[in-house]
This record gives sequence, structure tokens and C-alpha cells, in this order.
Amino acid sequence: MIVRPRKEDHLVIGKFTGKVIIGVGMLMLIPLAVSIGFREWDTAVDFIVSIAACFVFGFGVQAVCRTAKDLSWSHGLVVASGSWFFATALGALPHFLSGHGGSYLDMLFDVMSGYTTTGLYMLQDLDHVSMGLNMWRHLLTYAGGQGIVVIALTFLFKGTAGAYKVYVGEGKDERLLPNVIQTARAIWLVSLTWLGIGTLFLGVRGLMLGQGPARAFFHALWVFMGAWSTGGFAPQSYNTFWFHDIGYEVICIVIMIAGSFNFALHWAMWTGKRSEIRKNVETISFFVTLSITTMVATFFLAKANVYPDAMSLFRKVFYQLVSGHTTTGFSTIYARAFVTQWGPIGLIATTVAMAIGASACSTGGGIKGIRMGVISKGVLQDIRRMISPESAVVMEKYHHIRDTWLSDDTVRAAMTVTIAYLSLYAIGSVIGVLYGYPLDQAAFEMVSAASNTGLSCGVTNPLMPEVLKITYIFGMWLGRLEFMSVFALIGYGYAVVRGK
Amino acid sequence: MRTRFITALLMGAALLALCAAPAWAADAPIPKNDPSSTQLVEKPKQFNGTRVTFTGEAIGEVMVRGDYAWIHLNDDAYMERNAEEGAKLGGYNSGMAIWVPAALTKQIDTYGDYKHEGSIVQISGTFNAACKEHGGDMDIHADSVTMIRPGHVVVDPVPGWKAALAAGLALLAGALYWIERKTRNRVTPHRGV
Repeated sequence: MIVRPRKEDHLVIGKFTGKVIIGVGMLMLIPLAVSIGFREWDTAVDFIVSIAACFVFGFGVQAVCRTAKDLSWSHGLVVASGSWFFATALGALPHFLSGHGGSYLDMLFDVMSGYTTTGLYMLQDLDHVSMGLNMWRHLLTYAGGQGIVVIALTFLFKGTAGAYKVYVGEGKDERLLPNVIQTARAIWLVSLTWLGIGTLFLGVRGLMLGQGPARAFFHALWVFMGAWSTGGFAPQSYNTFWFHDIGYEVICIVIMIAGSFNFALHWAMWTGKRSEIRKNVETISFFVTLSITTMVATFFLAKANVYPDAMSLFRKVFYQLVSGHTTTGFSTIYARAFVTQWGPIGLIATTVAMAIGASACSTGGGIKGIRMGVISKGVLQDIRRMISPESAVVMEKYHHIRDTWLSDDTVRAAMTVTIAYLSLYAIGSVIGVLYGYPLDQAAFEMVSAASNTGLSCGVTNPLMPEVLKITYIFGMWLGRLEFMSVFALIGYGYAVVRGK
Repeated sequence: MRTRFITALLMGAALLALCAAPAWAADAPIPKNDPSSTQLVEKPKQFNGTRVTFTGEAIGEVMVRGDYAWIHLNDDAYMERNAEEGAKLGGYNSGMAIWVPAALTKQIDTYGDYKHEGSIVQISGTFNAACKEHGGDMDIHADSVTMIRPGHVVVDPVPGWKAALAAGLALLAGALYWIERKTRNRVTPHRGV
């Protein structure tokens, strides 16, 4: 029997969702300050409208939903996915008011893409967008990378025991420190340190490349946010192709890879456990699959004679593959060049890299390195069992922060989520094919959306069918929250309607 | 008398033409690119190594690298009038990266951004599908730059309805905040699970 949620359940969900949305409104104060600094008055008013709308929602819901009850697990999941839903709806206001959006759906697409660190976009005439709106686009992706709930946890939740349940609901389950609020703050400490160093390196490089000081600084900040959050947004429509510089690309590669690593791995390194990077199952899995996909793409592009020399070939292939595998979405080639220059094998290699994706509990998406590592170890364990005597007890270990014995339950859990991702990729690809796109391009684009990568081969554009836009929005949402939270929200809605 | 009148009329017409000339130039149709940036990206092999003439809005900034510089020219729907000026939305930006002698970029007075519509310039040069000199970038190596139309400042005023909406919502948010603070301690008692 499905139990209809009680009034208390609605109140607790409303109260915590309201808190998260107030957090979103407070985040908009940063782009508002940038707009005022650059005397972009129309954009500044867009942000005042949007901040006020977030506060009306947040304070209004909090005024109505008064309860002393703390969150249960199902509440946590519903708050996480529900907050993302409302944060997307209200976060799209500055985009829509800017006049650069074809429709509100397009702007919802952009904001969901930002929060989920995907990087696909519908904004039109990006090259004439204001500094304030660009700040908001990149801040969305930076905040989304850490998790918007992590932001709320850090600043608004004040030590509630149920906070961990919302944190897990957002697709993160590592406790770096005993207390979840301290964990959220540790994530911010790591991210802000990287922000300072990364922006400095990119900014100095930008100055050396001929950018003016203001543009060098803001481009560095935004490119850092796009790279670290594995978001892939960039301030110009040319993406990182704008800079035409191998030095800038190398810095981006370092930041993209660092951003794709598990926060637990970062914390281990931070606290002096340097050997973790060599031993961790996720880093090993990442470097193995990155090497394989890079070699395959390099081999076939060399055969097709696309690039004039080995250095150019490796530079282009490695950058796009790192970008795809870390689920960032930066590119130094035109979107359509994936089709017109790289061809089917290049598309497939990039699709596989995107599908596997980054590390768990990172800013990235995709199936995740730890699941690939666990499944590979599980397969090896089964093979060893088959060739060992019946009486032998075959056990496999994997290393993630500590050595852990591999259990059948762990392998089954990894397989379940992997199958869910593969099903999502397949459903979206079929919808793309039904709309007339070739299978390789439809699969590339859907995998890019659902793995939160953001590379495009040209399918995504403001004129694409609305159903496909909605498919990609759901793909981004489901992929980022790793299914459970969204299923919990749907279940909650069903229980409200059909429960007894 | 008649001769003097005709002379004055002709001189007036000539003066009018002189004054109006920049306005005509400003409104002169921009030559359509053939190939356009879209065609170059769609058929890179076909155009690789060919000489092209390309017209577009100078975007962002010039990045000088020694004697040469990078500029980016957009030949999209916003080349003459951008979205901030009320141009009808026409899809993504599209354009080409141009590698050009730095001295030739001095005539470009404005680069397009939020507050500016960039100068429209025409370049001639060689298209590279994957440039050997620039790590495989798709670019055009230009040897001539001609100014077609100077750029201009874009004014984006705040519409009255937007200012009123901002004020109304801000007041409402303030009122709700006040109510929330006042009623904070009136909590629905929790009856346990």
C-alpha cells in the first residue's frame, strides 16, 4: 500500500526547499555586483527581479511551512531533487529577461545545464552577452559542481541532523569529516583554493596572450569555473578555441582532470596522503580508459589524415578526449567538426569517454570511474573463481581511500546504476533517431547531456525539436542526481495523488 | 538668374550628398560571404588551402602575438545588429578565427561585446581546415583587411515595466521576510514518527 504523505511531510520538504532557494537568491548577489561594477543597468535590474523572486518563494514557503520535524531519508531525496527543480525555474529568470533566449524552455535548458555542470546551451548571441549574465552562467556551473545543496548546507542549515540526507540526495555520499556540515565546508576549502590558483595561472597566461587586464581576469575566472566544475561553459561562442594557445590548453587540462577527481581523493591529498592518487581505483580506471579512447581516436584520425602533423593530431585529440572523459565539454574544434572532420570513429571514441565520465563525488558526471573499476574487478574475480578449485575462496580488493574487499553487493550496486545510465543514454538516443538524426550523432548528443559533459556535434541548437530539449533536460537532471532523488520525487508526487 | 538658381541647386545637392555619404555607407549592404563560416566548417576539405574573402563583425578583442594577431569575425545573424539592440534572435553565433598581421588590425575601431556592436571588416586570405602553424586550428591566414563599417556603442536602457516589477517584487520579498521573522517561533508541533 502506498502511504499518502502527511501535512508534516509537505511542511518539512517545503521548509528545506525554501532554504535552498534563498541560497540561490543570495548567490545572485555576485552577478548583480558585477553588473553594477560594469554599469550594466538593464542586467542589474534583471538580477534584482530574480533575487526578489527567489526571496518571495523562499520566505513565502518558509512562512507557510513551519515545523520542528527533521528530515527523513525520503524527505532528503525529495528536497534535493525538488530544490534543483525550483532553483532551475527561478535561476532561468536572468537568462530570460536578458532577451537572449528563444523561449523560457530554452533558458530552463541552460540553467539545468549549468547546475548539472553539463555545458550545453541555448543562449543566442552569446558573444554580446553582458558581464553580469556571463558571471551568473559560470557561477551556476561552479555552484552546481559543488552541489547547490552543499552551498545551502554550508551557509543555511546550521547543523541539522537531516542535512546529510539532502547531501546524499544530491549524488554525493563521501563524508570527508565526521560532520556533514564540516564536509561541505571542506569541499569549499578545496574548491576555493583551486579557484585562486587556477584563476591566477589562466589570468597571467591571458595577459601574455594579448588580453586586456579586465578581460584576462574575468575570462580566467570563468574558464576556471567551467573547467573545475567540469561544466564547459565559456564566455565566448568559440569556447576555449578562442585563445589559440597550447599553454592555456595545458592549464585547462590540469584543472579539468583535478575537477573530475573525487573530493575524498582531494581531501586525502590535502591531508598529506599523496600516494592515494597512484593507488585509487578511480584514478587508475580514469587513466586506463582515457588512454584507450585517446589511442583509438588518434589511430583513426591519423589514418583519415585530418591533421597536418603528429603534434597537432595529439593536441586536438587529447584535449577533446580529456574534456569528454572528465565530462567538462570544453572544445578547441567547432562543434560540427566532430562530424565533418572526426567522423564516426572519432564520435564513438568521444561518446565512450563521455559515457564513462568522471569520479564519483566529484563535480563530474557519467557512469563514474569507481563503478568501472568495481565492475572490472568483479569480472576478474568471477574469472578467477572459474579457474580456481571449487573449495578455493577467491576475494578481490579495491582501493578507494582505504582497501575494501569486493562484495557481490558492491558489484551489483555498481551494475544497477551502470545499467540505469546505459538505459538513459539509449532512450535519449532513440528519441534523437526518431527525430531524424543519424544514430552516432544522436547518441553523442544524448550521452553528452546525460553524462553532464556538454560537448556537441551540432544536434543541440535553439531550433531543435522541443521534445528533444525536454529529453536532454531530464537526461541532465537524472544523470547529475544519479536517479534515486528524481525517482523519490516522482514517487512522492505519485503518493500524493494515489496514496491512502 | 536661372543659371545662378541651377548652380545653387546643384551645389546644395552635392553638399547634401557629401553629408549623407557616411550614412549611405553605413547602410550599404554588407557583402554576403561565399563561402560562409558555416560552409567552411561543413566542408573543410573542399575549401582547405583556397583563397577566401570573408566579411564579419570583429568580436571580443584583438590578441596581438608579436607581429601577428588573432581576431575573430562573426558572419552570423547579429553581424549588423545584435540581440541587445533588439535584433531578431537567429541562432548561435558563428564565425572564423583570423590570423592577420598586427599592423592591419589598427584600423578596427570597435570589437563587439555587450556594450558594442563591432566593426564590420572584410579580410582576404587562405583558409586552413587544420592549420599546421597553429596546432590544427581551423583558421584563415589573412593578408588584407578592409574596413566596411565602423562599430558603435550599444545602449540598453531599462524598460519601465522591468523597473516596476523589480520594485514590486522587492517590496513583497521584504514583507514576506518580515512575516517569516515575526512568526518564526510559531512552529507546528511535531507528533513523532
